[in-house]
Amino acid sequence: MAKLSVEIVTPERRVLSVQAEEAVVPGYHGLFGVRPGHTPFLSLMEPGTLTLRDGGSSQSFFVSGGFAEVSRDKVLVLAESAEPISAIDVAAAKSRLEEAQKKLKGLAAEDARFEVETAAVKREAARIAAAGRR
Amino acid sequence: MASLRDIRKRIRSVKSTQQITKAMKMVAAAKLRKAQDAILAARPYAQMLDLMISELVARSEAVAHPLLVSRPPKVAELVVLTSDRGLAGGFNSNVIRRASRFLFENAKTYEKVFLSTIGRKGHDYFKKRPVQLRKDFAGLFAKVSYRTAADLAQELSARYVAGELDAVFLVYNEFVSAITQTVSLVQLLPFQGPLGAPAKAGKAEPSPVDFKYEPARPEVLDRLLPQALAVKLYRALLESVASEQGARMSAMENATSNAAEMISNLTLFYNRTRQAVITKELMEIVSGAEALK
Repeated sequence: MAKLSVEIVTPERRVLSVQAEEAVVPGYHGLFGVRPGHTPFLSLMEPGTLTLRDGGSSQSFFVSGGFAEVSRDKVLVLAESAEPISAIDVAAAKSRLEEAQKKLKGLAAEDARFEVETAAVKREAARIAAAGRR
Repeated sequence: MASLRDIRKRIRSVKSTQQITKAMKMVAAAKLRKAQDAILAARPYAQMLDLMISELVARSEAVAHPLLVSRPPKVAELVVLTSDRGLAGGFNSNVIRRASRFLFENAKTYEKVFLSTIGRKGHDYFKKRPVQLRKDFAGLFAKVSYRTAADLAQELSARYVAGELDAVFLVYNEFVSAITQTVSLVQLLPFQGPLGAPAKAGKAEPSPVDFKYEPARPEVLDRLLPQALAVKLYRALLESVASEQGARMSAMENATSNAAEMISNLTLFYNRTRQAVITKELMEIVSGAEALK
């Protein structure tokens, strides 16, 4: 059977480039699965868990938003950041979450930093949730 | 005339300075390598993102996006990217000079030009001048990550969209090679990117079938553009860090060889002085013995 070639790239480095039978990606409207022969597709990604299955094994990554492009059995994931679920530092994520929430409280909705901190809250909450499911 | 002890002291002090500059050069070289690796590692993402945007733009008819709209120039912001540390040759002063020139040249073009500084050196300089310093992004170099660049980009674009700013510029050191850095001034907003050349998309052998987008194209573009801006900023940050290390490395290299030259001159002078002292003593002894005869 044909396989997908999956590539995960972040601005800081190329995280992963592997073959897989199936990829489950946290898309804009919820998780979507990709198998070989998928229609060309481009979706925004929400912070969440990305799972790759190959044979009996599977590996999961936390991706914090970005884009996923599927074309000709190639899955290209441009994530802002990506890390194996097992490598999530929950304590650090929690402290970042609290910090962002605290900052958010002092900001008006029109403030230029408001969006930044809202995104941070969402991201860290998703990170902690992803770690909880490992 | 300087006494022998004084010269010896001088030599010792120059030697220890040389040791310091040598060590700094090594440290800079090591950091430079790391910074160069980071630039290389950031490349695939930037390329793929550019490709995505150009493909998207090639497929959609009219692109109207708040970050692309240019308005009559009234308020501009110049982001000055310097370093936190000195002793890097002309690294910081070049950027500062370019920024000052920009302010001077554009005093009439814009009603107001705000300054933002990244890096302590730029901030230290401009806080004493009659300029509108808006914000200092301090402590950014402790850990240069994409996150910081993304946050910065988001803040700038939010203010741009809100109409507080009509143009955003960035002045930074572009990394050419370990010994060459060029100051470059680029416009960040209104956005000028791969959009200027959508024809390039043809190179990427666009798939015959159109993509399905989720959500619709405008929303996707909405997210892609700020991302591209963040990538631009991130690259500038990385280049600046690499340039800083490169500039420091060559500055310290020069300092080390200057110190070596100084040591050899001083040593020569020391030996001459020593000779002179010996000769003088000898003459005194000889003339003393002569007098006794």
